[in-house]
Amino acid sequence: MLQVVRTEVQLAGMGEIKVARGAGVLGCIGLGSCVGVLLYDPVAAAAALAHVMLPEPNGADPNATPGKYATTALPALLELLGTPYASQRKAILIGGAEVFQNRQNTLRIGARNVEKLHELLQARRIPIVFEDTGGHHGRSFEFDLASGQLTLRKVGEPPQVRNLSHALSMLAKAG
Amino acid sequence: MTTTELSALRQDALREIGNIGLGGAVTALSDMTGVLFTLEVPEVLELNTTQVHFVFPPEESLMVGTVARVEGDWRGEGAFLFPWESAQVLWRILTGTAPADLSELNELYESVIREVANIMLGNFLTAITQMTQFELHMEPPAFAADMAAALLSSLMVEALHDQRELIAIETRFSVPDQHFEGLFFYLPETGSLQKLFEAVGI
Repeated sequence: MLQVVRTEVQLAGMGEIKVARGAGVLGCIGLGSCVGVLLYDPVAAAAALAHVMLPEPNGADPNATPGKYATTALPALLELLGTPYASQRKAILIGGAEVFQNRQNTLRIGARNVEKLHELLQARRIPIVFEDTGGHHGRSFEFDLASGQLTLRKVGEPPQVRNLSHALSMLAKAG
Repeated sequence: MTTTELSALRQDALREIGNIGLGGAVTALSDMTGVLFTLEVPEVLELNTTQVHFVFPPEESLMVGTVARVEGDWRGEGAFLFPWESAQVLWRILTGTAPADLSELNELYESVIREVANIMLGNFLTAITQMTQFELHMEPPAFAADMAAALLSSLMVEALHDQRELIAIETRFSVPDQHFEGLFFYLPETGSLQKLFEAVGI
């Protein structure tokens, strides 16, 4: 049964963006300093997920995919979801850890990814309905569009299952 | 610089440099453990796309890793990674005991792996120094035990941070009868590759 479910998961690899409409499962595997940012549109019942690697480009990057940088990923996600229901969108933010501890001169990439995404989401007034970021542990997650169920995994811990359908739809009415 | 821009000669040279460097590192590990390790021929990887193909599936499997910044004439990052079961082999050899799972991991076990990485990377750099007359020094290795994909992607992203593309020298070493496997990456800064080629005269 579990395997059947897993085959339906659309996994966003590093720098990738995946979209699901009506139903489907979106996820990321093994997020370290990377951040999975998922935008959900309750009216369109659609979700788009980017696996963000870095906050912003450092100079020109001809090889970049839109999902690679926070600054390009968020506009790309909004465009994929279309414009009509922009005010009702909600965000889920997962990742941005610093898995190697006791580093000297750390680049703080995980923390900077999270900070940049907060800034970008706030500027667009998109509320974050679920966030699990920072710390020192890698994360994997799956979001089931049909049920609103989020499954979050970390090594050495049992999976966390959260049903976000209420948070998503409740805020949808308010928006 | 990408592998397509790297001439065949320079790719061979990088493989050979990796081989000599890691030969020194693995000899040091053999001296420490009394176990003979088999070294694979290094690969030169090009990481100029966002897609990183992970060498140790499954991606969520528990892995122990260390990374240390190298400063001097060949700047970069040196990383040693061990699947959890292989780290347990090292712990048993070096301390007589090993943590059964992540909850039993403590500072002692961490420091053992850090020391292994310290000695191995130190010997890697010594071999490079002898070849090139470079002056190289390293930071103390940082430690992590986490999902394989989280460790590898964090390393790649950090190395990609300041440059658009990346050359990585990857080598695996193993103990045939013991289910032991280790992975070594050296992620040189792009600019410092030119310096290396000049030092070895190609």
